[in-house]
Amino acid sequence: MSTDTDTDADLNEEEAREQLLDLAAQFYDQFADGSVPRMEIPTRTKSNIVFDEDEDVWVYGDRHSTRSANSVNGARKLLKATYTIEFLADQLAEDRSSTLRELYYLSESWEEERAQFNDQDESNQLIEDLEIVADVTREDFHMRPEESGATVMGPLYLREQTRRGEREIHCQKDVGEGGYQIPNDPDTIEFLDVDADFVLCVETGGMRDRLVENGFDEEYDVVVVHLKGQPARATRRLTKRLRDELDLPVVVFTDGDPWSYRIYGSVAYGSIKSAHLSEYLATPEAQFVGIRPQDIVDYDLPTDPLADSDINALESELDDPRFQDDFWTEQIELQLDIEKKAEQQALASRGLDFVTDTYLPERLEEMDVL
Amino acid sequence: MTSFQSQLGEGGGSGATAEELAEGQRSISIAEFFEKNKQMLGFDSDAKALVTAVKEAVDNSLDATEEANILPDIYVEIEDRGDYYRLVVEDNGPGITKEQVPKVFGKLLYGSRFHAREQKRGQQGIGISASVLYAQLTSGKPAKITSKTETGDGARYFELTIDTDTNEPEIDVDEPATWERPHGTRIELEMEANMRARRQLRDYVKYTAVVNPHARIEFHEPADSFKFERATDELPPETEEIRPHPHGVELGTLLKMLDATDSYSTSGFLQEEFTRVGAKTADGVCDRFRDRQFGRELTWRPPRSTDGGALEAHRNGGGEAAVTPAVREAVANKSAEATTGFADRVADALADRDELAHATVVEVVDEVADGIADDHGETFGETVRKKAVAAAWGEVTDGRAADCYELVDGATTTRKDDAAVEGLATRLAERFADRDDDRGRLTREELRASVDRAADATEEYDDATFGDTARENVTDAFWERARTVPDELPSVSAVADDRDAAARLLEAMRATDILSPPTGCLAPISEELVEAGLRKEYDADFYAAATRDAEVHGGDPFVVEAGIAYGGDVDGDGDVDVLRFANRVPLVYQRGACATVDVVKDINWRNYGLDQPGGSGIPTDPAVLMIHVASTNVPFTSESKDAVANVPEIEREIELALREAARELKSYLNKRRSLEKRRRKQNVIADILPEMAEKLSEVTDRESLDVDDSLARIMNNVLVERTVDGSTIELSVHNYDDTGVAGEVTEIVTADPGDHDEATVVEMDGEWFLKWSPEVAAGETATLRYEIDGDAEFDVSVEGIEAERLTIDA
Repeated sequence: MSTDTDTDADLNEEEAREQLLDLAAQFYDQFADGSVPRMEIPTRTKSNIVFDEDEDVWVYGDRHSTRSANSVNGARKLLKATYTIEFLADQLAEDRSSTLRELYYLSESWEEERAQFNDQDESNQLIEDLEIVADVTREDFHMRPEESGATVMGPLYLREQTRRGEREIHCQKDVGEGGYQIPNDPDTIEFLDVDADFVLCVETGGMRDRLVENGFDEEYDVVVVHLKGQPARATRRLTKRLRDELDLPVVVFTDGDPWSYRIYGSVAYGSIKSAHLSEYLATPEAQFVGIRPQDIVDYDLPTDPLADSDINALESELDDPRFQDDFWTEQIELQLDIEKKAEQQALASRGLDFVTDTYLPERLEEMDVL
Repeated sequence: MTSFQSQLGEGGGSGATAEELAEGQRSISIAEFFEKNKQMLGFDSDAKALVTAVKEAVDNSLDATEEANILPDIYVEIEDRGDYYRLVVEDNGPGITKEQVPKVFGKLLYGSRFHAREQKRGQQGIGISASVLYAQLTSGKPAKITSKTETGDGARYFELTIDTDTNEPEIDVDEPATWERPHGTRIELEMEANMRARRQLRDYVKYTAVVNPHARIEFHEPADSFKFERATDELPPETEEIRPHPHGVELGTLLKMLDATDSYSTSGFLQEEFTRVGAKTADGVCDRFRDRQFGRELTWRPPRSTDGGALEAHRNGGGEAAVTPAVREAVANKSAEATTGFADRVADALADRDELAHATVVEVVDEVADGIADDHGETFGETVRKKAVAAAWGEVTDGRAADCYELVDGATTTRKDDAAVEGLATRLAERFADRDDDRGRLTREELRASVDRAADATEEYDDATFGDTARENVTDAFWERARTVPDELPSVSAVADDRDAAARLLEAMRATDILSPPTGCLAPISEELVEAGLRKEYDADFYAAATRDAEVHGGDPFVVEAGIAYGGDVDGDGDVDVLRFANRVPLVYQRGACATVDVVKDINWRNYGLDQPGGSGIPTDPAVLMIHVASTNVPFTSESKDAVANVPEIEREIELALREAARELKSYLNKRRSLEKRRRKQNVIADILPEMAEKLSEVTDRESLDVDDSLARIMNNVLVERTVDGSTIELSVHNYDDTGVAGEVTEIVTADPGDHDEATVVEMDGEWFLKWSPEVAAGETATLRYEIDGDAEFDVSVEGIEAERLTIDA
């Protein structure tokens, strides 16, 4: 049950380092020919993502933008890229790791001031650029996000390769109420045994705690994955592995507003910012449980009115290639029509057990998961 | 104030001598007038008096030297003598003859300028003598004049005062003197003055230097000294004197011209004294003068003789026209045969004409009477003729009412009630009949008055309305049908004595279409020299100049020039300086009243890349704007000649000249801004790329990199590279820009490259200079190759390509 399918995602340090140095060599050669150093990066907007029929995920299309030294900004970006390459190559050589935020602060120590980052968005974006251009994932650069913190609770037995040795953990029996914390690089996990029927990804902490308190995971043999809002890569990667390697159906349970649909979108289709990693992160089979606008009507849930930004987001989703299907078109149009949104916790208006006793079983049966 | 110094070179030929020139000059006695009106002439304060005196003296010196084809060398000194200031102005002009001195410096309004049309600095001939007078009135001291001509008689020294009652200069001292200058004139004045107008004085002298790049000027004042060197040895072209244009004279000038001319007839006077007036134009003016002087004679349709049969239908009141019997009746004591013949012929001759004025009838009767006299041997004397004319004219005017109806009807709109037309026509006919002058003579004004009265009466009694337009149309219809009389015009001397007649002549001149005056009489500074003048006195980054074509306002041709100096050491605090010039004379007072400044304020300078707070007014930038108006008669706002008057034609040309120069400034500024941007970009990128290259060689562990090629490509630059391969040297000129370039590449090499086909080779002190002029199209590379023996040192330089766009890697 290991990770032999993920060749490109499982480069060793030396290979990742080689790919980075190749990129530096490419810049070097461009200078040596007297041409202008540049790198080409796919345009990362929703207008440049296309559906990959083979993998069933959304990936970047053909449109590219060029970071070239022929402008002041381009020259600065390439200088920063060069310094970052050096930093990453050194980090890999030493088998260390660092967080994105550490990279940002670390740049402050570089003598060349023009190579320093202005803000963390800039360093994050550069790391994403390098992932794409060098064809190496961030995890392989040994770059971590600040906090993952997302957790798993359910009948799943696994082995984690930690820096302090191997740990074998059962995600119900060996953990507290908080559940098992997903590591930054979930590819260090090996699944040992599973006794679950499906995976339920939950957006909010409140709902996740409600499900655990009500013993939903035990009653229905569910692996409950807490997404913690927009899910981190590690959470999405683990979800995909649960689906691909353990053949578990995946369902996503979020609030009933446009931002939550995007959470589902990034789990199921891949996010726009990391579409270059869609094959590695997205779980196209993931299904959406709710809260659907339909549920707001059917269950007469307490609601908030849509804000202008909500309406804009919904309209933008109608144009989003990832949401171009009957289900989403119908639901989004319905929501625009009723002009209301609802949180997961709104189900509590029918009683604390309503979600576990009625709503989820009904919805999951409808979806053929139960 | 021209032509008061003698010509250099004895018997030299074409130039007039000082004596000859003197004949063209006339004196006008206004010394006393001046004493009471100092301010009008620029002597309103002690401070300004000094500026005016310097200005008049220097203008004078410049004119005198230029007229004698001498490059001006002028010395100005102001000395504080406690009670008074002493002003000395010296020039290297041709000097002045003994006879001329008192007249030139002592008599107000002495000088031909007042009459001639020529572009000269002093235009009214009042300046220098006014300064003499002012000095005399304030200090009581005479003017001290030293002059030396090249005749070899040495210098003479004069002291001069003016008798303000008689306007007569008096020479108190006249003695030989010694003076080191070979020729020239020096005037020394003592006057009440102060240096409060120091800035204006300095401006005046400095601006004079700007606008007279051929002059050398030295200026000493109590606090400081300045020297302005020559920028060119080229004298301004000599101006041609032209006679005044009929549209450009005032009544006073006309009266003086009438008084002074040798012509007897008005026509001769016009052709003789004015430009663009030939016989035909003179006739046109004379006819208009006659119309104003004598009025025209109204004309009427001829009456038809009885045997002519067909009476015109509209002649409703007259019954049978009976010229023949009437004339026969009027003739007494002649044979019946001659009488009848005479009457018949007169009737026939009148019937042949379309329209008859009284003068026509007189003409016809005279002609027929002469003919009859020949045929019948009977003399038709004065009395008979008069009676015959009266009789015939009586018959002609009999049909007047019908003619009036026809004219009024034709001149009014068809909507006019027929009764009203009839009423007006009848009343007009009555008015004409009632006139004392039965010849039907009237001026246009009288005609209009008649029409007005008839129309008023018609409005009152016939309940009709005749508006102003209708009345004017009716007046026109009659005026056009009226005939200019053949009377003899008064002689020129008669007109000269009759102010009203002269005014009528002037009106006639203005009413006649006359060709614009010739413009050859103007001497603009020229674009090159405007720029040279600015360059000389302002250390700027950019200069532009524009000289417009000559235009005409009133009867005077004029040319406007503009110049701009921008950036560099030009003072950048506050508003730009506006340098104003009229006929090469700087204007330093009354800036706010000057048309030039008004025009500057109205231009939107932001369009041309200058700062202009609020989008109007004087722009604020380190710049100097220069405006020069050259004309045979620059219109000033006052006699002190400090500000150009707001004449629309001149303002328009000033604007066009400024805009022309400003367009050049704009493209310069645009280019400069884009080069600045390029330089900034280049600086940043040129800083970053070597850092990046260094880091890359570190990371990849390879040898260090040269980034110049990449840099040149990024900058769309032109890159010049040298490669040495044994004895073959190659210079590659890569043009990475998207436009072609042409530059001059000079390689200095310490070994002999031999002869070369494409490059010129010059050897100097063991160094060989190879010079190519390659043209390299966008994206192309030119290769310049040569061979040497052995080792050498190289040094390449490139000209004709901006430094910002050039990378030399050699």
